[in-house]
Amino acid sequence: MNGAEGDKTLPIANVGRIMKQSLPPNAKISKESKQLMQECATEFISFVTGEASDKCHKENRKTVSGDDICWALCSLGFDNYAEAIGRYLYKYRQAELVKLNQNKLETAKDKV
Amino acid sequence: MRQAGAYSNLLCGGISGRTGPHSLPLARIKKIMKNSSEDVKMISGVAPIVFSKACELFIEELTRRSWIMAIDGKRRTLNKEDIASAVIATDIFDFLITLVSNSDATDANNTVIQMETI
Repeated sequence: MNGAEGDKTLPIANVGRIMKQSLPPNAKISKESKQLMQECATEFISFVTGEASDKCHKENRKTVSGDDICWALCSLGFDNYAEAIGRYLYKYRQAELVKLNQNKLETAKDKV
Repeated sequence: MRQAGAYSNLLCGGISGRTGPHSLPLARIKKIMKNSSEDVKMISGVAPIVFSKACELFIEELTRRSWIMAIDGKRRTLNKEDIASAVIATDIFDFLITLVSNSDATDANNTVIQMETI
């Protein structure tokens, strides 16, 4: 796989890892199925982004936001993902706050 | 539940520990979003993060549905025909029908594809 092609899809190692974690331990995954899943996941991003982008365009907004993506997911039938994404974003923001506070503490210690 | 590890490990490195807290690289996701359409000019910082989770959920769901097809065929190896069958069987995955038809995955299912697209 050359560099140019590699940029257009999600990395196969990450895709394969997620597939493995979704299956029982005795399951095997063919290389071709990982490649197809890689293409499907990439197409998923394009498809949902297109829907979100259309909405922004209609509403005269330039920036595709996280909320637009969530809206597009629900609009396209993936509303069962919305709750898990909400929890994930919450945890991510909490983790960012912790890091921010740690940095502040360290900077304060240096100044003393 | 399998997912518990993914976000309870958010601070110390998520699934791989090497890609940072997210299971998919944000820069690559952003590139794919930009490639999807001319209209996509600006993307907020959180949008790729939303996608990193959404893609994980998508891959999990399609993988599990494909596995059911493999089990039906009395196999323990997931192959691309299983993914194609799962796509055909699931309404919300209709957007993938062209993609799975174009790959060799549907040689065995050609009649089904022809019926679907007419």
